[in-house]
Amino acid sequence: MRHALRTLTLSAVSTLLLAGAAAADPETKVALVPGGPHPYFSAWEQAGKDAVKDFGLGAADYRVPQKWELSQQSQLLESLLSQGYNSFLIFPGDAVGTTPVVQEIVENGGQALALAGCLKDPTPALFCMGTDVANSAYLGTKELIKAMGGKGRIAHFTGFLVDPNTQLRIDAVQKAADETNGAVKVVQVIADIDAPQPAEEKINAYLAAHAADVDGIVTTAWVPAVTAANSLRKIGDKRIKMVGIDHDEVVLKAIKDGFVNGTMLQNPYGQGYVGSYVLDKLRSGCTIKDSAPWAKNALTAKFVDSGTVFVDAGQVDTYVDAMRGITKTLKESFDKDFLACK
Amino acid sequence: MVLIALAFAVFASALPGFTTPFSLFAIGRQIGIDTMIGLAMMAVIVTGGLDLSVGAIGVSAAMVFGWLCERLGLPLAVSIPGALLFGALLGAINGYTVVRSGVHSFIITLASMSIFFGVMIFLTKAEAFRGLPPEVAGLGRLKLGGKVSALLAVSLAACVALSVFYRFTTLGRRMLAAGANPRAAEISGVRTGRMIIACHALTGALAALAGLMVTARTGAAVPSMAGQLGQDWLLPAFLAPVLGGTLLSGGRVAVFGTLLGAAFVNVITSGLLQLRVGEFWIQACLGLILLAAVLADRGRHTILRRRGLV
Repeated sequence: MRHALRTLTLSAVSTLLLAGAAAADPETKVALVPGGPHPYFSAWEQAGKDAVKDFGLGAADYRVPQKWELSQQSQLLESLLSQGYNSFLIFPGDAVGTTPVVQEIVENGGQALALAGCLKDPTPALFCMGTDVANSAYLGTKELIKAMGGKGRIAHFTGFLVDPNTQLRIDAVQKAADETNGAVKVVQVIADIDAPQPAEEKINAYLAAHAADVDGIVTTAWVPAVTAANSLRKIGDKRIKMVGIDHDEVVLKAIKDGFVNGTMLQNPYGQGYVGSYVLDKLRSGCTIKDSAPWAKNALTAKFVDSGTVFVDAGQVDTYVDAMRGITKTLKESFDKDFLACK
Repeated sequence: MVLIALAFAVFASALPGFTTPFSLFAIGRQIGIDTMIGLAMMAVIVTGGLDLSVGAIGVSAAMVFGWLCERLGLPLAVSIPGALLFGALLGAINGYTVVRSGVHSFIITLASMSIFFGVMIFLTKAEAFRGLPPEVAGLGRLKLGGKVSALLAVSLAACVALSVFYRFTTLGRRMLAAGANPRAAEISGVRTGRMIIACHALTGALAALAGLMVTARTGAAVPSMAGQLGQDWLLPAFLAPVLGGTLLSGGRVAVFGTLLGAAFVNVITSGLLQLRVGEFWIQACLGLILLAAVLADRGRHTILRRRGLV
């Protein structure tokens, strides 16, 4: 039921977005490959299906490595290239370690985008599209500080240390706290817990021992957000403020019930949908404009922000509208500012 | 060999992409890496023992290589031998502990796997070395004769060297003797304790070489290259030598058999991947192959014993 609702929602987003799709190349075979199994990426599957339907691609398949291990992802990418896929949307298993396999994709006539996480420059990937994770973490922490009344102690729960985004998030949360001139302190950072077992173990243990010592929680990865929201519900004390990330139903319900103050919505569906669209356009003869307005981050000088938005109790019932809005804007910005098509 | 040819023929006829130059290159490269991991385990199976820490040693040595190369700025000619020596040292520590304690290598290396990996994560803070010289990644992509992976050539060279070592050198023959019948070897003047330590040191050096090969493939020394605690190497480490004919009870090696074992596993894995069989089913399939190989090993051992050959 939950899956069907999500599928219906995402399909509605794509239908509304589709306006006069240009002729596509049916030879375009897109592979959407995350670094490993993770709920964040599940929206890529529907995004690929919708891209095939809406843009007439040959294929846009979501293929997941068995686990978060660089060599397994590289082996899967090599296999997909052998199977005839020619366009790749890849969450890099490592900011540098994924580069050689992307280089091989390009040398064998394929093309690749880094999606949701970037490769370190110089890279053969065309560009990187993802959440500006540092900005998202910074804005989320600012919202949390506001909810805390501008003072107090924060615990930060975040993702895999091998994820190139994790350090950026840790730094951004610290930056937001530093701007309060000591009124807010980050008293604990717990990383490497973006999986159910370590998240349950470490977050519950921390809150059992130190719940009285923290005034706010910011989470910058999917599973810690879900686990922390559940923990706060179990504790039943709404004194601790929390800002989560992403749109898991546990987090959204906790926002409605007042246990969580809000969440930083990312746009994984838009990444997969627009990424597939852009790769097909580039295969069909479009080029990237010299004047393309790239953003920069710590890893690359060719970054496109796929959008982020804060959703609190006031907007939680209409978050799909927010998602639709940022995806529409993203596709329009590619058509207008990035792609040159004859 | 027949099984490899059969599997290859089946996948080649069913999958048009299976025999493309890139596909063959990628399969060859993976065979090269898995062969080296298998040889590392084979070197200790010779004694009738095993080493669960091959992955942890391989990753630790790769991280030492990254540190020597990137932080200290040492040339590859120094960094590579340095990493191999470090791997051999960790292996020798395993061997020394096994000999001194008398505890089975399963327990000792189970403990050392956690120790080596844990210390490596603590010292590196789980940070990868990503600024390695471009020659490192270049080696991973290098095609000899425009077709064959250089990493496969490295493993072939190691196979030749190990074959010569076990067949024609005193130390190699003593290792086999110590593994086949420790008491008889001891009576013949072979110091079996030293041989066990030497076997573990050889395992460590070969695991380090496998770690360097994975580093060449990714162009970076990444702490997670062999999974948590290096456990992702365990299946290929056992599959290749056992399928290749190395006796788990020790005393006999099959160096080129290990290469063939790795080739069989990789042809099956690549074929199933391209057939879009789920990754989880592939792991289950590999587990079944290992089980079948172990049972075949028991059968082979029984036959050899009846003939008075072991």
